Amino acid sequence: MGTSPGSPSSVPPQTPETSSGSPQKTGTGRSPLALVVVAFVVALMLYFGYHQARRGGVASIPRAGQSLIAPDFSLESLDGPAMHLSDFRGKAVLLNFWATWCGPCKIEMPWFVDLQKQYGPQGLQIVGVAMDDASKEDIAKFAKDMGVNYPILIGKEAVGDQYGGVPALPETFLIGRDGKIVDKIIGLRGKGEIEDSIKKALDTRPASSQASLAQ
Amino acid sequence: MKELFAPKREGDRRRGPLFAAAFVFLAASLTSPQTPGKAPTLSMVPVPLTTTQRAKATTVDLDFRVPIGYHINSNAPKDEFLIPTALKMDLPTDIVLGKIQYPAGEDVSFPFSPDEKLSVYSGDFTIAVDVHPLGSVVPGKYQIRGVLRYQACDNSACYPPKNLPVSFEVKVVKEPATHHANPAQSPHVHN
Repeated sequence: MGTSPGSPSSVPPQTPETSSGSPQKTGTGRSPLALVVVAFVVALMLYFGYHQARRGGVASIPRAGQSLIAPDFSLESLDGPAMHLSDFRGKAVLLNFWATWCGPCKIEMPWFVDLQKQYGPQGLQIVGVAMDDASKEDIAKFAKDMGVNYPILIGKEAVGDQYGGVPALPETFLIGRDGKIVDKIIGLRGKGEIEDSIKKALDTRPASSQASLAQ
Repeated sequence: MKELFAPKREGDRRRGPLFAAAFVFLAASLTSPQTPGKAPTLSMVPVPLTTTQRAKATTVDLDFRVPIGYHINSNAPKDEFLIPTALKMDLPTDIVLGKIQYPAGEDVSFPFSPDEKLSVYSGDFTIAVDVHPLGSVVPGKYQIRGVLRYQACDNSACYPPKNLPVSFEVKVVKEPATHHANPAQSPHVHN
């Protein structure tokens, strides 16, 4: 597979003179090594940007100082009366947006049942918000089939918008005892990762006297 | 060691940016085909004009494409709560919609549900629609519109149901003149 000398694609044989290269100009060209470093940095940025996007930003949620305040809401529950997020003030809240048509949401629900049992006595309250077009009866049937042991609320688009639009499900917010968002998880993650976030939320202290939940 | 830091040859300088660009492209392609958290959008391949006769059914193939990395439920998902992919057409008067033939879904298990097989469409799939212009239709071109309702997921999240507008054109022509073989009336028969 030798290249014939003189052909357009041929490369001149390298001589010791050309490889030492002293007569050639080199100062103005960019070093390939530098370009590779730049490319590597860009690739890292893409990688971390992607993972940050997967975790989701919460930029649209109102801030109080440096913390993100979980917006309060009032939603009808499957059991009848409306519930407010502020009803759970002082507790750590796992707020899970889900839908009956969402396969990954269905996987999480038994985990939430276990986690509610395990961490409920320490002050965790899991709350499900069904972002569904299905009827209340269908949602109730689904929740019953899944053995859900925490309140399920009938979601509204406006509440989803308050939480950044909820473009994909499941989407879970971990809210500390002080009403501040400590974590946000988009999509299905491992149970262990959710548990770590729950511990983080439980480790927070309740806001002393002032109402910290945004109205 | 001196050789390693020798001044770069012209060819090396030319290849450097190419290599860097290829590296960035590779890194980007290894991440995700679409922005995470953003609902994917199905696309429909334009349908060539279909010519059909009056009073005769014709099958029109509608080709759809699911973006890489996503899937949608088939027309017959295995769970009552999953939203089936369904085509709903709105036809002009005197053109009747016949059978809609959905492809069989692919039975796949996903990381979020390894023990359960879901019936899904991914990549390219075709829905065949029977269009039947009645005998009373005025010959000409007719635009037929509808929507494909679908609900997409990736390996870890699902997106709200969406409607994709569907449209194609059918040209209805007159049926060919029929010849009634009746020897008694043949012009070649003369008394």
